[in-house]
Parts: sequence; C-alpha cells; structure tokens
Amino acid sequence: MTTPAQTSEPGRGAAFAGRVKALELQEYALAIVVVLLFVVGAILKPDTFPTVDNVRNMLTQASVVGVLAIGMTFVIATAGIDLSVGSIVAAAGVFGGILVGDNGTSTLLFIAGAVGFALLLGTVNATAIAYGRVVPFIATLAMFSIARGLALLLNDQLPVSLLDLNGGSFGNPRVFSLLWFGNGRVFGIPASVYVFIAIAIAGWIVLNRTRYGRYVVAVGGNREAARIAGVPVRRIIFSVYVLSGLLAGVATVLLCARLGSASPVSGNLYELDAIGAVVIGGTSLAGGRATIVGTFLGVLTFALIFSLMTQLNLSTEVQQVTKGLIVLGAVLLQRPEARY
Amino acid sequence: MSRKRLLGSIAALSLLAIGVAACGGTKTVTKTVTVNGNAAAGGGSTGKTVSIIASVPPTDHGWLGAISKDAKAAAAQHPDVKFELLQAADSDSQAQQIEQAIAKKPDALVVLPQDGAALTPVAQKAERAGIPVINIDRLFTAPDAATATVLGDNYQIGVLAANYIADQLKCTGNVVEIQGLAGISVTTDRSKGFADTLKKKCPGGGIKIVAQQPGDFNPDKGLTVMENILQAQKKIDAVYTHDDDMAQGVVQAIRNANRADEMFLTGVGGSSDAMKQIKEGGLYRATFLYNPNMAGTAVNMARLIALGQGFGELVPPEVPRQVVVPAAVVTKANVDKYEKYAFN
Repeated sequence: MTTPAQTSEPGRGAAFAGRVKALELQEYALAIVVVLLFVVGAILKPDTFPTVDNVRNMLTQASVVGVLAIGMTFVIATAGIDLSVGSIVAAAGVFGGILVGDNGTSTLLFIAGAVGFALLLGTVNATAIAYGRVVPFIATLAMFSIARGLALLLNDQLPVSLLDLNGGSFGNPRVFSLLWFGNGRVFGIPASVYVFIAIAIAGWIVLNRTRYGRYVVAVGGNREAARIAGVPVRRIIFSVYVLSGLLAGVATVLLCARLGSASPVSGNLYELDAIGAVVIGGTSLAGGRATIVGTFLGVLTFALIFSLMTQLNLSTEVQQVTKGLIVLGAVLLQRPEARY
Repeated sequence: MSRKRLLGSIAALSLLAIGVAACGGTKTVTKTVTVNGNAAAGGGSTGKTVSIIASVPPTDHGWLGAISKDAKAAAAQHPDVKFELLQAADSDSQAQQIEQAIAKKPDALVVLPQDGAALTPVAQKAERAGIPVINIDRLFTAPDAATATVLGDNYQIGVLAANYIADQLKCTGNVVEIQGLAGISVTTDRSKGFADTLKKKCPGGGIKIVAQQPGDFNPDKGLTVMENILQAQKKIDAVYTHDDDMAQGVVQAIRNANRADEMFLTGVGGSSDAMKQIKEGGLYRATFLYNPNMAGTAVNMARLIALGQGFGELVPPEVPRQVVVPAAVVTKANVDKYEKYAFN
C-alpha cells in the first residue's frame, strides 16, 4: 500500500485514485522483475540458486542494506536524502567495538553503543537540516565524510574484533549474543532476516497507518501546504534523519554480527544501494510518494542480482554493466507518472 | 554594479589570485644530484638537512595505514630529515597535493599513487622540476616518472601462493580466488603469477580455479562475495585471497557456513591478525609477506638520493633504480620469525 499526498478537493479524487493505482501497478512491475530474476537464476544455476540455503543467504545479505533502505524511504519521502548512512554504519560499529573493549563480552553494550552512536550522528544530520536549514544533500555529504573519518580515527584505522561476543561458543553462538544476530537461526530463518522483516513491517505500519506517516508524506509532497495545514514540518524533517541514523545503527549490528568484527572501511557506498533500492521501488525522489513494499522489493532485486552474478562468476566489469542495465530496466518498467 | 555582484566579483577575483599564486612558478630548475662517485656511502650524516615530502592515498586500509606509520618512523630515525606526510582523499586530490608539494621544492618526493597511470604526468612534472621521485608499490607507467622504485613482488606472490597451494593439494582440487581491487597492477600481477604457475606446476589441469571475484581489499565485500561463492560451489579445497584484511571477511563467511574443515585459506600482506590465526592453525594456513616497511626503505632511499649518497654495498655506491622487496611464505612453521614484521 502507498500513501500519496492528500488533497482536500473532491474534484481531485479521480487523479488521486489514479496515482494510487499507478503506484500499485508499479509495485507489481517490480515484483515481476524479482520473480523474473529468480527464474533466470533457477534456469542458469539450477543446483545452487533456487535452493532454500541460497534464499536464506540472499535474504541475510539483503537485511543490512534493507534496514538502511527502510529508513531511507522515510527520508526520501520528505524530499530529502541521506548520503551518510554507509559511513555511519562503519563509525557506529567501531564505536560499539571500542566500548566493549578488548576482552569484553557484553553484546548489550555493543548494541547500545553502536545504535546510540548512530543515533547521535543521525541527530547531528537532523539538526543541521531541520534547524540549520542546510540542504540535505550537503549536510549528509558532510556527515558522509565526518563519519568515515571518525570510524578511522576512533581505533587508529584498525578494525575491532568482536569474535568474543558469541556467548561462549564460536560455532554455535548463544541466542541473543552478537554473533547470533549474524548466523543464529530461529526455525531455520536467520535472526537478521527476522530483524529486517520486523523493521519493514513496522515501517509499513508507521508510514501507512499512522498520522506521523501521513505527515511525512505530506511534508514531501507539498511543504508549504503541509505547514499551513498545521503539520509540524520542522519536527517531521528532524525526525526522519534521526530515524535514518537509528536504523543505520541497527544495520551495523547486523553487519558486525556476520563479519565478527567492526571494520572502519565497511559500509562503503551502502547509501547508494539503499537509495537505489528505494527509488526503483517507486518512492519518488521529489517526495510526496513513498512505498515500503516497493523498497522491500527493490532491496530483494539488488540481492538477487548480486547473488546471481557472483554465482555465474561474471567478471567485475560485466557485473557493473549488468547491474546498471537491470536497474534501468526496472525503472523503465514503471509507468511514466510514477517515474519522478 | 549591485553590491551582490560586486562582492561576487571580488570573491571570484581573489580565488583566481590565490589559484595563480598556489600554482607557483613554472620555471624549470635543473638540479644536479650526484648519486655516484666520491660521495660517502651509506647513511653518514653530512650536516645538511634534506626535506622529504611523502604522498600516500587515503589510508582506508590497514596496509596503507602501516605504510604511513613506517614512512614516518623511518624519517624520525634521521635527524637530518625534515619530513612531511600528505594523505590524499582520492586520485585527483593526490595529484593536486603533489603539485602543491612540487611548489614547496623539497629535496625528494616519495609517492605511493592511488592509481599509477593517473599520477604519472604529475610525477614526470616533479622529475622535470629537478625533484627526484621515489615510487612505492603501485607503479607509474613511464620510466622517466621516478628516479627510483620500491615495490613488492606481486607476481612472485602469485607464484609462491600457487606453489604452496599446489603442494598442499597435491595438484588436485578446486580453488577459489578472491582478488583485490580490480584494475590495478597489484591485482593483475597477483592473479597472473598464480594462474601461470598453476599451469606450469600442474600441467594436467588438476587444480581448477572455480571462482574468481574481486573483494576490493575490503572485509565486508570479502564476506558477501564469499557467502555467494559458498552457495555456488559445493566443494572448495583452497581459497587464495589477495589480502589479509579482506581475508578476515572471507574467513568469517566460511566459518558462518560451517565449512571451515572443508578448505584452507591463504592471504597476502602479513597482518598481525593473520599471523595470529596462522599460529593457531586451522583455516588460515599461510600468508605472503608484502611488507609495508617498504615505505621506510623508500624514505631512506630518498634521503640518500637527496644527500647525494648511495648504498655502500654497491660498487660504486649508488641508489639502485629499482628495489624489489622479496615476498616470503609465512606458515605455522616459520611464523615466529616474521611476527615482528607484522603490521597492525
């Protein structure tokens, strides 16, 4: 479901319904792309692509960028952008790692530290954009650089090992220990996939079923009209960047759990993948129209592409061209009104 | 003219003025550096201070961080060296930084280019301005771009790795190669050395490279790429990675999939994490030393060139045009010997 900006004139009702319909058709188009990719993979690599194990693998890989993309959906819905999430992922991880220390084993401390630091950086973004009136592109571009610098500074450019946070056993990490968030499974489904899906569902509910969600889209759709209608525009804009930071912290936890360490060079260009997933999902960069389902499908699309191309052992040049073409194709499949 | 336009024009003109000043003069200075002959050999101090400027790429990797540290440490050993280290943000800004460095007229320039081909013109410019350039690791693409070059032997690393893996597997098995950054000489040489040697050592084709993907020298890329390869390949006997730091992600992917007993892994570089794991034994079996101490060697060579001195071992004492730092195989058997050279 989607939430375009509300219009109060009854005459516009038909256009409104038209836009909603257009967005739904577009989501179907992306769903078709996802199915198509899966089928192509199943044909080209029947033994290894369409297996339960590989689906688990792809979903797990999708969960890190996926969590970022949910936050990015809210940001882009307000006609903003957040270029800093990848760097925040790195900085938050290193911060959490140092907090835990060399011989620490407290997963809670790591999670609190990482999420807290990411939240802090997101709040800096939010303050600059909402109250400092800095253009989102510039503010988050600055944070992109600052956060990367912090990630390298905090531990003298070295990664922090987190292998001790396994609750006792390395191969079979205890439930809710940090490494469990990477490879632990509940009913055969990895913990990080649960986190991703839970956040996606929560994001959908907030965007489509709460007043806050409607305010977010209204601010992006027509800021002046929203302000006049009584929407607390500044606070809404502030909140979406804080949310983006918070979700970057969650993404860090998922990544560091799988990596077993907090690396200062991780998260490289994750923001581009997140933005790409959001945009091919149908959320408009100009704001005013957002879809969590679209974002979810967009994230799956990227995960499928990456898995398929690696399994086919394509060279890196071919991979880059192919990925670009698929993204272009997915966008072109969208109806004209829905493209902007 | 409205006030806004006036201010704008003044701003533009002042920027222009600053730009012209920063570019410095373009006059060519011919400086004769006596490298051979009567000059004292080795590291004797002549009372003269030499200024050395080093330019390195963004240190977003443990090895590059170690390069910076080693360069600074080597310079600190010599009281007659005035040393400045410039860290660039990317290839273009590194070129600009080197231009600014040329304007300062140092006695020698030490450069590890982010991209050797892209920075060759600015290196040639420095050489023409009479500033000797010492090139580290990633090669410039023209012979007149540097007075001396210090590099690791990337092709040799590929050779050593292939010999090691072929011996361990007795010429039968599936090998996965996780490369570094695609497109740079380091990666191409390490891959080529590996592939060429496998063909020679196992002519029957018993060892197959079943997957070859770039990991960009980045641990989380190594992690995700290996996760996918593990899905695609049901039987892997060995993994040849181009970098110790990146290999940490690859190792974790293998462990997460519970396939650590199925294969073994080799890295490159000689990081302390890698050496620790080699000592413990298990999945990580070997690494090939690619010592960031070559930066220290480069600084020392720069100093000698600037002072007009040379290596005492050479007859007559000179600074050689190219120093290739040998790679060494580090395994459990000899890791104790190499631990002190580990970086990080």
